Amino acid sequence: MSKKVKKSHVSPMVKEVFHRIFMKPATCKYPFVKAEVPPDFRGKQVFDINLCVSCGLCSRDCPAKAIEMVEVEGKRRPLFHLDQCIFCYQCAESCPRNAIKSSVIFELASTDKSSLVVKPEPSHKTTDGA
Amino acid sequence: MSKKEIDMLSVLQSKFEGTSVQVRPEQLGKAEVIADASTHRDVLKAMLEADEKTAVIAITGIDLGATIGVFYHIRTSETGIITIKVEVPKEEPQIKTITDLMPGATFDEMEVNDLLGVVFEGNPSLGRLVLPDNWPDGVYPLRKDAKLDNLQFKPTPPSEPEPAGNENIVKVIVGPQHPALLEPEKFVLKVEGEIVKDVEPRIGYVHRGIEKATESRTYLQDVYLVERICGICNACHASCFVETVEKILKTEVPPRAKYIRTVLLELNRLHSHLLTLGHAGLEIGFETLFQYFWRDREPIMDITEIISGNRVISSGMTVGGVRRDINEADIPKIKGRLTDLKKKLPFYKNVYEDEPSIKMRMKNVGTLKREDALKLCIVGPTARGSGVDIDVRKDEPYEAYGEIPFKLITYNEGDTWARMNVRMDEVEESINIIEYALDNLPAGPFRVRVPRVVIAGEAVSRVEAPRGELFYYLKSNGTAYPERVKVRTPTFANIPAFLATAIGSSIADVPPNFVSLDPCFSCTDR
Amino acid sequence: MLDFWLFFRVLVFPGFTFILFLTLFCDWVERKIEARMQSRVGPAIAGPAGILQPLADFIKLLTKEEIIPRDAKKNVFRIAPLVAFSVMVFAICFLPIDGSSAISSSGFVGDLIVVMALVTVANFLLFMSGWASANPYGDIGAARVLTQFLGYDIPLFLLALTPAFLAGSLTISIIAANQYLPFIILAPWGFVLFIVALQAELEKDPFDIPHADSEVVGGLETEYCGGKLAFLHLTRDVQIVLGAALVVELFLGGPYGPVFFGLPAFWYSLWFVLKLLVVVMITEYVTCLFARMRIDQVLTANWRVLLPLSVLSLVLTVAMATYVYPMVV
Repeated sequence: MSKKVKKSHVSPMVKEVFHRIFMKPATCKYPFVKAEVPPDFRGKQVFDINLCVSCGLCSRDCPAKAIEMVEVEGKRRPLFHLDQCIFCYQCAESCPRNAIKSSVIFELASTDKSSLVVKPEPSHKTTDGA
Repeated sequence: MSKKEIDMLSVLQSKFEGTSVQVRPEQLGKAEVIADASTHRDVLKAMLEADEKTAVIAITGIDLGATIGVFYHIRTSETGIITIKVEVPKEEPQIKTITDLMPGATFDEMEVNDLLGVVFEGNPSLGRLVLPDNWPDGVYPLRKDAKLDNLQFKPTPPSEPEPAGNENIVKVIVGPQHPALLEPEKFVLKVEGEIVKDVEPRIGYVHRGIEKATESRTYLQDVYLVERICGICNACHASCFVETVEKILKTEVPPRAKYIRTVLLELNRLHSHLLTLGHAGLEIGFETLFQYFWRDREPIMDITEIISGNRVISSGMTVGGVRRDINEADIPKIKGRLTDLKKKLPFYKNVYEDEPSIKMRMKNVGTLKREDALKLCIVGPTARGSGVDIDVRKDEPYEAYGEIPFKLITYNEGDTWARMNVRMDEVEESINIIEYALDNLPAGPFRVRVPRVVIAGEAVSRVEAPRGELFYYLKSNGTAYPERVKVRTPTFANIPAFLATAIGSSIADVPPNFVSLDPCFSCTDR
Repeated sequence: MLDFWLFFRVLVFPGFTFILFLTLFCDWVERKIEARMQSRVGPAIAGPAGILQPLADFIKLLTKEEIIPRDAKKNVFRIAPLVAFSVMVFAICFLPIDGSSAISSSGFVGDLIVVMALVTVANFLLFMSGWASANPYGDIGAARVLTQFLGYDIPLFLLALTPAFLAGSLTISIIAANQYLPFIILAPWGFVLFIVALQAELEKDPFDIPHADSEVVGGLETEYCGGKLAFLHLTRDVQIVLGAALVVELFLGGPYGPVFFGLPAFWYSLWFVLKLLVVVMITEYVTCLFARMRIDQVLTANWRVLLPLSVLSLVLTVAMATYVYPMVV
């Protein structure tokens, strides 16, 4: 039916659509503008080797089998495969020493699969999420 | 148990006194009835005569060693689940169908046939449901002795030629890839002119074998696995699963955890309803409405991110409580966003009620009458749009829903317009529930520790997902791994509604009809 | 000297090149306005404020591989989009843009009818391009295009007669030049109904069923890719410019407006473009307000509502012009 016939029951869209032209758009212009995330966002893992006791619970409990225990300086340490990880942070919960923490880094896309790991750096250095 | 419940059990007890049928109350949720392959139909008939709202929720097939168990989970008078347990020998798994009594059980029977090999005599449409067409014969994945290592796939069968005499019928194939569908499924519409004469569904394109996968992961890992059955109702799947484990372990979940779980569940519902309301606009060509709804969906994802650390998949549930607490400092921010959304609701409500082009496309389209909705065992807003007042939150309150006041929304028209309006009103109710929960958050712990090894037992639980009633059945065997997890998702139960309403409608009405039942095929196929 | 001037007018300004860039500019305006109405930003990255986006889309499509289905009618498939585009551009050349039209400086009697007929021919060629695709979605889309434009051509033509009657001539240049008071004020009912009929001709919401992608995937464009698809899109955009330009000429006083200094041709072109943008914004606003109607509702709206109303509008205009206006104006 043409707009003219239904004039008695004016659609609520008429005013709203017109007003929207003059209002600020809802788009946030990422990536030109930084995206805000809350501080306890579940992003890339941060592993502190000084707290680790090599129990292996993180690797055992991981639902996605994304944690591999590797030898670093004679002890077993977790290596995080971020391409398998589902960022559930069960590893952080299972760890008895709080050696795994989250960070707000989420821009992890890469064209190189070998960069998608969080390696346990040798001691006296903590890996940061850079 | 409610009074109507006890009547049903006493009816069954008196009717089957002295026969091989045993009625055992207080088992498996509400009650279980041990029957066999010759008496299960009589039990069902007795239940149907006693209460017209009897409906099949799910049919679980389970490999019990020498026999295959076929468990019929029946919902009676909205408040109880009575399970009829039947066992058939593994060498000759045959049982009579119940689809003549309850047409809504067709898909359930087809699935047990597909995955476990039980033959339902008299079911007119036995065939592949979730497994692909070239799956080898004789391999039944859910059996414990199934060899799934070197499968020899059959060559794909050619598509059947058009039978003679139907030159007027054109087959319009919707899917697997189609702009109207979000996820792949195939619906072959047989169209004569502009009228749809028949619909042949083929689901199973997203089948990932999750029920089988749960059997090789611990309970803790399974929470994350079942959460990913569906992206939008992830908290509902997780909470239903942990509820069944908690029922077996008889864990007392702290009240604060129950309230936080309620908040996460209602956030899922808000997210899903806003998405559907916008998507419905897109299907009928109303792009502006689609953009507006999805703009207003963003604050919900921001709130989920504040509470759980991720925008969509919240991963907030665990056995014994929730994983993270809600920070008191965040609550004003959350409530501020909800208040902003609430201010926009009158405009949207006005649009869905009064806008002329929406009324033209949605009124009297895809009408489902109340009797059909009951017969086909439809759940969720699709049923509430036809006047059937079922809602698990009211019928069998779980988490904190028993303490939070809210309204049950029904409309009586039964068409697409009514279904979308049910969802529109539920958005407001959800916001009210979340605000009440945040205002009255009890103090205390948010989690209790539970053992990793679960004692042997069985449990069922139900949760009202955004699309309807979600049902889980869990059987544990005393190890750290579950024996059997059965999931019955709401869209699986609602597809017969689409088939019934599409037949006889015009082909241009199929997209709005389809989107009004809010299909989620990841849930359907698991 | 005469030949060079004619070629310049036809090929560069206000002919082909000008129309091409005007089309791309109007496409950008349309997309930006639609985005703002939907709380979005629209094209923003290609060029300042995204103004090069339509050109970028066009060039991108030209660089893609051309695939022709095996069962398609090859010659029709290849040629129909190009001929449709050229017919539309040819139709625009009859409209006075800078005070006189590209082809003939004062037009000829009846060129309004020629323009409407050319629009019909171009739409028919679009139908043929979909029909030649050998694809069920192309067939359904093409059939819907045919049904829709053949039906809505009739009220469109009747409503175009309203300003013709008021100006007393069927020549577009004379209709545009004789508007001492723009006809939108003298016959506002004609303007409103013309916009509605134009929405159907241009296949925009609520009449955009020929390319309803949830039902017919791509409509008549389903099998097209590469350069031919670029021309199909361009044809649609040129159609919008043609429709809006007709509204400007018939109802809004054409390119004529106040001349402040210097060359009148410059000011006339400027007023033409500004009025064109106003009409484009109005049609885009109407597009954003509504959902899509079903094909049977589209046909009902045409034969039962729009056609009687356009006849009534013509009668009303005649009555007002004969009895009322000579006394008032």
